[in-house]
Amino acid sequence: MIAQKFEYTAPKSLDEALHLLASGAKPLAGGMSLIPMMKLRLAAPEHLVDLRTIKDLNYIREAGGQLHIGATASHYEIESSALLRQKCPLLTETAAAIGDVQVRNMGTIGGSVAHADPAADYPAALQALEAKFVLNGAKSERTVSAADFFVDAFTTTLEPGEILREVIVPIDDARTGTSYQKMVQPASGFAIVGVAVRVRQNARKVSFARIGVTGLSNHAYRATAAEKALEGKTPSANDIQNAAALVAQGVDANSDLHASADYRKHLAAVHAARAIKSAISRIT
Amino acid sequence: MKISGSYNLPVAPERAYQILQDPAILAQAMPGCESLEQIGPDEYRMKMKVLLAALSGQFEGKVRIADQAPPTSFRLIVEGSGRIGFLKGDGLLKLSPPDAGAAGLTVVSYEGDAQVGGTMAAVGQRLIDGTAKMMIRKFFDKLASLAG
Repeated sequence: MIAQKFEYTAPKSLDEALHLLASGAKPLAGGMSLIPMMKLRLAAPEHLVDLRTIKDLNYIREAGGQLHIGATASHYEIESSALLRQKCPLLTETAAAIGDVQVRNMGTIGGSVAHADPAADYPAALQALEAKFVLNGAKSERTVSAADFFVDAFTTTLEPGEILREVIVPIDDARTGTSYQKMVQPASGFAIVGVAVRVRQNARKVSFARIGVTGLSNHAYRATAAEKALEGKTPSANDIQNAAALVAQGVDANSDLHASADYRKHLAAVHAARAIKSAISRIT
Repeated sequence: MKISGSYNLPVAPERAYQILQDPAILAQAMPGCESLEQIGPDEYRMKMKVLLAALSGQFEGKVRIADQAPPTSFRLIVEGSGRIGFLKGDGLLKLSPPDAGAAGLTVVSYEGDAQVGGTMAAVGQRLIDGTAKMMIRKFFDKLASLAG
């Protein structure tokens, strides 16, 4: 089907874009979710502002001991970034697991995060990384943590007229290992369940563990009970199983044609165990 | 699709039963409700606008209340349709004081069946369950804030 008529603006600067968004236009940041919805006429925005034409929003750089990623960095640009591969391999691994080649070429990290699909891949990794998001409005700028940003299905703390301008992630040292493991839904490429793990060891003891889970419930979350079960241990295979079993504990799991709530919870535990093992094995 | 769950409302069962059938309060609590007007005994016409991510759609339908047994239970029958799909639902709501017997609190438990069809169901199958839960939670949160 063909989308309903809409206005399209390709602004040159962020200020110009924010000005248009303040008057009710909708941002377009790759369009891998929005455009199909418009073609099916499930969505009919009157005015789209294309953020990908703003050069200042497309970057991946290191500054102040952290990594800064501009909103319109595509999944492919993240997947293939030498800087991220070296300093934040969890993000490159997660980007490489998204959708298909076409989606990775067009889709952007800012678009995916702001859309907040409950089954999107990035939010699991960004929870595990304790990422920060810089949000800009026409007259405002604020920084929100990943833990506070994702509120519910497709619901974030973004206000109308505000955009996600930058993602900030930490640089981990060599004693940290990470891994992202997902069960893919083959038709859409989305995660039925995805688990991102980030562990640090000190003399073989886990000194720090962060686990992000996506696809299971209405928004990605940190599995803190599982993190605590790992910390302070030199984890045996049994310890890993026990910790993994905690990732879905107390979670109101969703169900659909592809996976019932119970099966999703089971998948979460299985993929958490795989991700923990793989993350530990990558510590050099 | 089966829908079930429960919610604690911060009012006594008699009051909870009353507000759950008060069109003026329901119209404010239902996410996206634009109007709710009585068209017969225990029957209402409803207009709602659903906004979710980029999706937006208008729905028109009817809400009917049956099998009333104040203040412990009633049945809610909803049907609505719009350009992007349709929705039918039938559910039983049970109201009871909490086990601990705290005064001024009601446990509302609901159990029912819902069918969603049309374009939104064909494309959004994987999202219906989560969306339904979110809307029910929003409804009760708003209701709880209006109940006091």
